[in-house]
Formats: sequence, structure tokens, C-alpha cells
Amino acid sequence: MRIHPHVFGALVLAVFLGTILAFQAGGFWSVSGKVSVGGEAVQPSADDVNTIKGWMTLEQITSTYNVTLEQILTQFQLPADTPAFAAIKDLESEAFSVTELRLWLEAQSSPTPSDASVMPESDPAVPFVAPTATPVSAVEAPVPTEHLVVDKQVTGKTTFQDLLYWGVPQAAIESTLGVEMPAPSTVIKDFVTGKGLEFSPIKTQLQAEVDQSQ
Amino acid sequence: MHAQSTSFVDRPSRVKPRLKGWKTLLSHHAFRRMVQWAFFLYILYLMVRHVVIGEDSGVVTASPEAFCPFGGLETLYQYLTAGGTFVSHTHLSNVVVFVALALTALLLRSAFCGWVCPLGFLQDLMSSFSRYLQKRLPGLRKALASLKQRGARLAFLDRYLRFVKYLVLVWAVGGSAYYGFMVFRDVDPWAAFLNLAEFSFTPGVVVLAITLVASFFVERPWCRYACPLGAFSGLLGKLSPVYLKREGSACKVCQICTKACPMGLPVHTATTIKNADCVACLECVGACPRQGALEVKIGLPLIGS
Repeated sequence: MRIHPHVFGALVLAVFLGTILAFQAGGFWSVSGKVSVGGEAVQPSADDVNTIKGWMTLEQITSTYNVTLEQILTQFQLPADTPAFAAIKDLESEAFSVTELRLWLEAQSSPTPSDASVMPESDPAVPFVAPTATPVSAVEAPVPTEHLVVDKQVTGKTTFQDLLYWGVPQAAIESTLGVEMPAPSTVIKDFVTGKGLEFSPIKTQLQAEVDQSQ
Repeated sequence: MHAQSTSFVDRPSRVKPRLKGWKTLLSHHAFRRMVQWAFFLYILYLMVRHVVIGEDSGVVTASPEAFCPFGGLETLYQYLTAGGTFVSHTHLSNVVVFVALALTALLLRSAFCGWVCPLGFLQDLMSSFSRYLQKRLPGLRKALASLKQRGARLAFLDRYLRFVKYLVLVWAVGGSAYYGFMVFRDVDPWAAFLNLAEFSFTPGVVVLAITLVASFFVERPWCRYACPLGAFSGLLGKLSPVYLKREGSACKVCQICTKACPMGLPVHTATTIKNADCVACLECVGACPRQGALEVKIGLPLIGS
């Protein structure tokens, strides 16, 4: 069968644009980290410091994590006249980055081991309030691995390997997930959200398993 | 084959009527250019909007990089293996556009390269500009012809250099999968072009400049030798049921089709054109002066008949 060149061109447009439009119609489309697949604006979550992105402003951080602008500027030795609307990525230096900020905020908000079983994340109705009694100058940004291993807190960065290392049996992990455990190096949050599930409740259950295993 | 074709030489019914004046706008070439312009202008609009509105406003302005199908290929491994996450600078839109490209390739060969790709269009524009100048400047035409004649001894390199794009493909996709970031981005001329408006200068700017200058002498040099997306699309296009058929009995072997091919394929010697390098621009079909000598056909994938 012969195809006229004009028809061929029309077919190219129909197939290429049609496929994209079909995905868009199905809600499977996002062009920016600032909006979710559902089109809602992405905001930092008080429950999870990993939701902090480089394009977010200091103002968004201070309003979400209950820290002041001065605390951030002092902690990371940023210029005192840094405006609140400055994006994190625009302020990055050796001492300040998204990762450093996440670690610091995580350290600020980590509960003590005694109250780990009643983490505020487990109940969405309870607003998250980060402890602010400790003077900022006294808090040092911890080394990531030390922090994760010593505190044994399930966070957005925790891998299945961490859970196994903390003594949680693989069977307990799989029972919580309801599916077979993937490669141990997989980040739990990535795996869970990839399955279309909410991370928070699973995180709470896994944290309970970690606490039990201690 | 040549003897067969001579029997049609004097048959006026076998010669295509030449379009003149405004009717040239009805040609498939004009249609293709219009489609290419539309995609190119849309990308320019995205670039300008992203820079003018910026990232600090409440309005979300998509980076033009979010529409690059190669970004979708580079992030695909992470997207599939790490629970729907993406490597930096890519989004879900990249994956969707990549799927659209793959589907287009499966059905219509590398038509994305010939009809949509703005980088291919930029090279086409440079080559058209070169031809325009050569028509008006006989000295330049002679100089380029002389250069081409002297460079003919290096023509054998062409067939080997065409494999470079497959190596680039393996490096770019494998590197992204292994390291978790786009190893190719810094030298990618398209990413460099998209970020020119933001005054972001990477080695890719040099590659872009070399590509555009080379387009003055050779048509679509990036597509021929280095484009990893074209390499992928070409390989996938091998499974397409669409192919070009040269009818030996109607062909005069005038070589106009070969001269019109921007990818430098020897169309006039083939019976069916299923080459992975073919970008399905159909310039050869449009340029062919004989009715039924060169046509787009649908047949069995791989076999092509």
C-alpha cells in the first residue's frame, strides 16, 4: 500500500502529538518539580525533609519547619542581609546546600529515643512541631551515616539495607510492605511511592519494627 | 535496470508536474518545513517564557528541557527501577515525549528526526543557507565544490563515523543509569542551545557551534555521526512497517533523490530504503521527477514487502 507524503506528515503529527495528548488526558504529565502529577503545587512537608528542593525559598523553609531565618543564616554562615525569598539553590556553597539543610532540619526535629514510638508523623491530625529549645549555635550538622545508624530513625533516605542492618528481619519488612522486598540498596521511600502508596504510614510501621528489634 | 528505465524516458505521463508559484506551498517539502518551524518556534517560546517569567514567580514555567525525549531515555532506567524518581533536569514529561517518539519510530521510522526535531531543523536551516549562498556566489560554489572533490578520498570514513552515534547512545544512557545523573548533558548541543538564553555556557555550546558550522558543508552532521536519539530511533524504526520503495522500471537513475537526501544515503542504488539512518523526511520522494519511481509503502516490518 502506498502513502502520500502529505498523509505521512499528518500521520507523524497524529501519532506523536496524539500520544502526548493521551498521556496528558490520563493525568500522566508533569513538566516541573514544582507541581505534582496531579497539578498541585509541591510544597515542603514538615513530615519529611526530603521534600525540600533547591528551588524552594528560605521563607518556605522557615514557615514549614518552625525555624527562623536568622537561625538558618547563622547556622550556615550566610550573609545577614540574605532575603527570605532567596532560593536555596542560589545560596549554595561549600557550607550550605539542600543536603546540609535537610540534615540540619532533620537533626532539629528528631525525637529522642524514648518517644520514638509516638512519632508525630504517625498521626496526621497532630501538627508537627519541631523542638526549638536547643540553641541553634549548639547544634552541629551530623555526619549522615552516623546520624542514620545511631538514631535508627526511618526517614525518606533510609534504605532496606539500613533496616536489615538495624536487625529488622526481612520477613517483617515484607509483611509491612505486603510485597517482596526489592534490592537492599533501594531507598524505601522511593520504592513505596513508586508503588503509589503513602510513605508516612509505612514509615511508622517500619519504625515500630525497628524499635521492636532493639 | 537502467535499460528498463529508459523505456519510460519519453512518456510525459510518467513525469510529475512541477509545482510553480504559490503552488509550491502545497508541496510536501513546504508542509514539512511548516511543521518543523512550528515545533522550533514553540521551543523558542518556552525558552523565552522560562527566562522572562523565571522560577521565583508563582507561575510554574516549564523548562524547555522538560520536553526533550532524550531526557526521557536517560531517566528511564531510574524511573523504572527507583520507584518513579527522575535524574536531575528531567520530569515525567520527558518520559511521555520519549514514549511518543518511540511509538512514532515503531510506526513511521525516524520521522521524529525528519519532521519534528528542532536540532535537525537548525542543521537543515544552515544547509539551506549554504545552498542559498552558493547559488548567488559562484566563487563560494566553486570553492566548496573543490573542497568536496579534495575531501572525496576521505569519503570511506563516512561509513565508519556513522557508528559513533551508537557508542554515544550507550555512553549517554548507560552512564545515566550507572551514575544517576545525565553524563551526556554537558556536551549535548541541544541542552546547550536550550540554556543559551540563561547564559549558561557548557562544552555543549562548542559542540553546537561545530555542528552548525559543519552543517554549512555537510547536511545534518550531528544526525549522521553523533546523535544518540537518532541512533535509538533508527534502530527502533527497523521494526516499522513503513519503507521507501524505488521502482526500477520507472526510475531513470538521475540521482536527484540521492542529492536530495540530507543523510547522504545512496537512494538511487537501492530498491527498498530501510536504512536506520533514514530520517523519513521524504525529500527524496518529493524531489523525484518521475511518477511512481519512489514511493512510501507499508509492508511487513524488517522484510519491507
